[in-house]
Amino acid sequence: MNKKKIYPQWFLILPLALYVIFFLLPSLLGVGYSFTDWNSRSVLTGVNFVGLDNYMAIITSNKGYLSGLGNTLMFTIVSNIVKLIPALLIAIMLQEGLRGKGFYRTILYLPSIIPFVIIGIIFRSVLKYDGGLLNTFFEVIGLDIMKMKWLSDLNVVWKSIIGVDAWRGIGYVMTIFLAGLNTIPKSYYEAAQIDGANFWHRLRFITLPMLTGSIMINLVFGITYGLKVFDIVYVLTNGGPGHATEVLTTYAFQLYSKGQYGMSSALNTILLIITAIVGVFIVKTLGKQEVQQ
Amino acid sequence: MKKRVVSLALSVAMAASLTAGMAVNVSAATDEFAGEELSILVSAGWMDNRYDQTIARFEETYDVTVDLQTIPADQYIDMLMSKLMTDSCTDIFWIQSNPFAIESVIVDPETYCLDFTGAEWEAKIPEVRLAACKYNDKLYGMQIWHNSPEYVMLYNKTLFEENGWEVPTTYEELKTLCAAIYETGITPWFMPGADGWQHQLAFFQIGGVYEEAAPGLYEALNNNEATFADNAKMLEVLEQFKEFSDLGYFGEDWIGTDSTNMANEFADRNCAMAVCNSSYIKQIQDETETTDEFGLFIEPLGDNTWFPSSPAGPTMFGYNKTEHPELVKEFFNFVASTESLQEILDNSPAYTNLHVNDDALEQHWLPEEEAFMATIAEEKMAVSVLQNGTKYTNDYWMNFGQDMVSYCLGEMEANDVLINMDTNRAEAAKIAGDANWE
Repeated sequence: MNKKKIYPQWFLILPLALYVIFFLLPSLLGVGYSFTDWNSRSVLTGVNFVGLDNYMAIITSNKGYLSGLGNTLMFTIVSNIVKLIPALLIAIMLQEGLRGKGFYRTILYLPSIIPFVIIGIIFRSVLKYDGGLLNTFFEVIGLDIMKMKWLSDLNVVWKSIIGVDAWRGIGYVMTIFLAGLNTIPKSYYEAAQIDGANFWHRLRFITLPMLTGSIMINLVFGITYGLKVFDIVYVLTNGGPGHATEVLTTYAFQLYSKGQYGMSSALNTILLIITAIVGVFIVKTLGKQEVQQ
Repeated sequence: MKKRVVSLALSVAMAASLTAGMAVNVSAATDEFAGEELSILVSAGWMDNRYDQTIARFEETYDVTVDLQTIPADQYIDMLMSKLMTDSCTDIFWIQSNPFAIESVIVDPETYCLDFTGAEWEAKIPEVRLAACKYNDKLYGMQIWHNSPEYVMLYNKTLFEENGWEVPTTYEELKTLCAAIYETGITPWFMPGADGWQHQLAFFQIGGVYEEAAPGLYEALNNNEATFADNAKMLEVLEQFKEFSDLGYFGEDWIGTDSTNMANEFADRNCAMAVCNSSYIKQIQDETETTDEFGLFIEPLGDNTWFPSSPAGPTMFGYNKTEHPELVKEFFNFVASTESLQEILDNSPAYTNLHVNDDALEQHWLPEEEAFMATIAEEKMAVSVLQNGTKYTNDYWMNFGQDMVSYCLGEMEANDVLINMDTNRAEAAKIAGDANWE
């Protein structure tokens, strides 16, 4: 036995078995089912191999699956930008000795532990056009011009969803950044200050390079979350108004609930492939940078 | 004398033992389920508070607990389907049933539904409603619903009289009326689009007008010999609906408005009309302090003159894989008793009657309902509403509603809304193995 190893390799067997049985196997089965006509009547008719029919149906359908894919990608990109940058700045602010740091940290983190269903109920009420808290507030302070149809105007609805998502997620992202910031030795900043570096210099040449690990974690988490986004859309708009905020997962959910399991699996497989490609790309790219540093 | 005393004593003893026996039997019957939990999955609006008293009495009688899971309407069918397909459904579930729904919504009733064939309560369900409760001659569902005019135009009669507004009978009259109401700052037609299921009613409740424009349409649609797409009357109605939306007659933000505040909107005279059940009049008057009177008229989109006949409604089913089949059956028996039916009716401001065969039940018909029904010719009640008269249509109710919103927002064309319905129906038919679509 190699004495450098703390634990024997057979310790891996149980977690690996659980992972394979409950995660890998169902995922592969899902991919397999995407090539079949599995539906709610398959109990009677059996599951038949249909090749790429489901994928072709998705591509050629006029039901807006492709716009759902576009919305998914848009949400992934925008929601990450909206969360990562403010979260980083807040984390730096808290790290740099703001009074009541612990209090603010708790307050900012709290929304991320609220269940999506509760968030949906609260924000549907807050964002209501007539009598909603936000519009009433604008009316009271005389800013009627700011009154909007937050969840029913095509030009505003995505901003509302991303805003609520950012409200919920910034605290979580910030916590990961804070953990990363804690690992940067203070002496680096002291030396930089002696050399005359201002805030932006310190951010550019010390903080960001030293935070690559935290950025990578947040990006991987954020992008995989964005690609498989469902809850926040479902509870706020359920894909509406009309189909304006449909994403891949809401379509997959609709198909599954209509008994079209094969089609639903095909949509999920497309999502799986995109997530895997993007995830591997990020880890490889940022991993290389980390090694270079 | 001695004989009399002995016989009296024996009679008393016999009666006592019989009573004791009965008590034991009831106790045994109720104790049998003690500690069990009965779960029910239902969409918002189908049970609400009206079943609370009956459920409480059931819990007390059988020493069980009832876990009532009420799901928002726009999420219900997705939730139910997921639960059925993953074998994790509640002991009792509900669907919006019609003569085709058991086959098209539940798909495989033998797998998912408890068979109640031969149950005594079948006699309580009127013949016209049994079609929505049975499949292949087996009784699966219990439909206890009212027989009031469903989703017709409800209007503030007092407001109309004060302003000299007449009840419209054609589309043009309706449009002129809405313009006049709109001028006064009142929302002419309250349209709760955010509910996701209400605004479609304006299109589907006037099924008779589509059948009248193309006789035999329903049958042709059910035989896959006709389509929604390119149907001139349907396109006309959709266009009229969008026109009203564009003109602001449904309110400033009808797409984002739900129906939770509708009664107050009527009472405060913020709106003049809406598509409602006739019993909603009672609800407005009970929930608010309005002294206004309300009336009903036929929805005139597409120059419709047809009454929305609909032998359909929320229907309760037992889950075949339940761990408590006997308790489920007891619950159905319990609900069908006159006492429970009376409780359900009395505890529901939205009901004025229950459509059941039970002479002992005290109904509460409204004079407005009786007055309205008197204006409808018998032959105008002969066609069912579109969603319940044609196969697979009601299954895509929510999708159609989403498409209508997209159309009103300018994201879709009217005919695309209809094409999508055809596509969806074809998919449902394919899954159901419907020979007409092969």
